[in-house]
Amino acid sequence: MDDSAKQVLRKIIRRIPSNKLQNILSKWEHLSKKQFRSLEFTQAKWLLCDNLLSLCEENDLSMKHVTELEMIYRIENPAQGSWNVCQLIDPSEEAVTVDSLTFKDSFKAHLKHLISHVSVKMKKHEDNAIWIRIAWGDNFTQPNHLNPTYVVHHLQTPYVFVSGLTAKHKPFLHQALIPSTHYGGLKDVHLSGRCLTALRDLLMRQYKQAFPVKHPRLLQEKSPVPSHPNIETEHAKHTEKRLQMAAEAFGEGILPKLETAVYKLETRFRENGMPGRREEPFRGVVKFSSSNLLESLKNCVSSGMASAPVTPLLSSITQKGRNYFVITDKGPGVSHTQGRKI
Amino acid sequence: MSLKPFNKLPELNTANVLLVENEERFQKKLADAIVLLENNVNVIVRLARSLPLPLENAESRPRIDLVVFIVHLNSEQSLLSAETSLKHLDSGYFLGKVCFLVTGARCGTLPYERLTSLKKMAATLNSPLLMTEDKTAEGVNTAAQRVLAVLRVAAGLVPMATGLYLSSLTRCTVPNDPDWQNQD
Repeated sequence: MDDSAKQVLRKIIRRIPSNKLQNILSKWEHLSKKQFRSLEFTQAKWLLCDNLLSLCEENDLSMKHVTELEMIYRIENPAQGSWNVCQLIDPSEEAVTVDSLTFKDSFKAHLKHLISHVSVKMKKHEDNAIWIRIAWGDNFTQPNHLNPTYVVHHLQTPYVFVSGLTAKHKPFLHQALIPSTHYGGLKDVHLSGRCLTALRDLLMRQYKQAFPVKHPRLLQEKSPVPSHPNIETEHAKHTEKRLQMAAEAFGEGILPKLETAVYKLETRFRENGMPGRREEPFRGVVKFSSSNLLESLKNCVSSGMASAPVTPLLSSITQKGRNYFVITDKGPGVSHTQGRKI
Repeated sequence: MSLKPFNKLPELNTANVLLVENEERFQKKLADAIVLLENNVNVIVRLARSLPLPLENAESRPRIDLVVFIVHLNSEQSLLSAETSLKHLDSGYFLGKVCFLVTGARCGTLPYERLTSLKKMAATLNSPLLMTEDKTAEGVNTAAQRVLAVLRVAAGLVPMATGLYLSSLTRCTVPNDPDWQNQD
C-alpha cells in the first residue's frame, strides 16, 4: 500500500461519521471476519484508522480497494455536494438496448482513449443506477483521488447526474458518455441540488404532481375544521381557496427537496410599460434558497404570505424541471442566452 | 363597512372575542386555550386574518365585545396588516374594546422601531398592549388568561367595571423622553 492510498484512506475515514463507520466497513468486503471483529469502533477515529491501515497492509490492499470504500459511502449517502443534471438528446436506435456491461466497457474505453491518466470505477446500485467514480489526472500526473467526480446514470433514461466536475474535465466526460449511451448530444438541464433522489424524482415525475386544468377540482382535504364549537373562522372560504391555489400550482403530495432557485434577469428597464431609453439590459440575479424550497414556496401560498395565483415563474420549477432561469425580453434584443424564455 | 360595537343586541352570559392575525399562526393556539380556560361564561372566539370581515358572515356574526390584534414583531407585514385593519373598526371600539397582543419582543435582533411604532399606535388609541410568548404552552396559557380578563370586563360580565374604565388604567403609554429606548 503506497503513501497516496494511505492518505486517501485516512481522508475517507475522517469524512465518514463515527456512527456510520461500522456499517460502511461491514459492506466493504476486503477484511476477513476475524479482522473486522478486531476493530474497536468505540476507539478514537485516528486510532481506529491506524489499526485499519495495518490490516490493509496485511491484506495487501491497494488504491483500487480504497476507492471502493469511498464509493460505498457515497452511494449510501448521496446528499453530499451539489449535483447537476444533464440530459442526453437525439437517441439513436441502439439507445434503448444498451445494457450495463456494454455501457461499462464502452465508457471506460472511450474515456481512456481521450485521456491517458484517469481512474474509472463503476458500480451498479440496486435501483438500476450506474454509479461512476472518475479520478482525473493529466498527461504528466497520476489521477487525483482526493477530488473525484461522481456520475450517476440510469440506463434507458436520458438523464445524467454529475457531482464534482470541473470545467476542464467536462468535455472529456461528455465525449465519453455520448457514444457509450448511443445518444447524439448532451445538454445542461439547469437543475441542481444536494439531494440526488429529489432531482431524480422531479425529472422522472415520481411525485404527486399537478396538471394544468381548465376547471378547478374539488379539494379532498378542506381547510382544518376548528377544534371547538365555540371557535369560528371568518375567512374560511379564503383559506380554502388559497389551499386550492397552492395545490394547483405545486401538487398535493410531498414535493421533491430542492435547495435553490436562481432567476437571472436580462430585461430592459421599462418606464410605464414602454422600453426605456437605456439600450443595455438591466442585469440582476434573484436567488431563493431554503432547506426545502418547493415546500416553503407552497407554504407561502397556502398561508397567504404570497399573493395568489402563483406566478408561472415559481410554478415552472416543477413543471419544467429546472431551477435556473434566464428571463429575457420577448423582442430580438437579447437573444444570445442559454436559458429558456418565460 | 366598518365593524360596529353596538349595532347588535348582546346575548345572555356570552362573550365574543375576535382575534385578528395576519399569519394565522398563534390565533388557533390562543383560541383553544381561551375556550378551555373559561367555564362559567359562554366564550365564542372568532378568527380573522384582517379587517374588514367578509360580508356574507355579517348576519350570523354576533356582537363582538373585544377585538384583539396579534402582532408578530419578527415580520413587518404583521404590523402593517394590523395598521390597515384598524381603519375598518368603528371608533366606538376604542373605548375599551380593543387590545394589542405582541409576540417575539424578547428577541434582541429585531428592529426596535417596530415595537416603538406599535407602542405609539396603542398609546394614541388608548388601548392596552400585552406582551406574550407564543412558543411555549405556558406562554399561550398566560396570554389566554390575560385576554379573558380583559374580555370579561369588556363584555360587561364584571359588576362595577366597564371596558372604558379598565382601559384608562391599563392603556399603553409612551414616555416623553426621546432616548428612553436606549436606557437599558
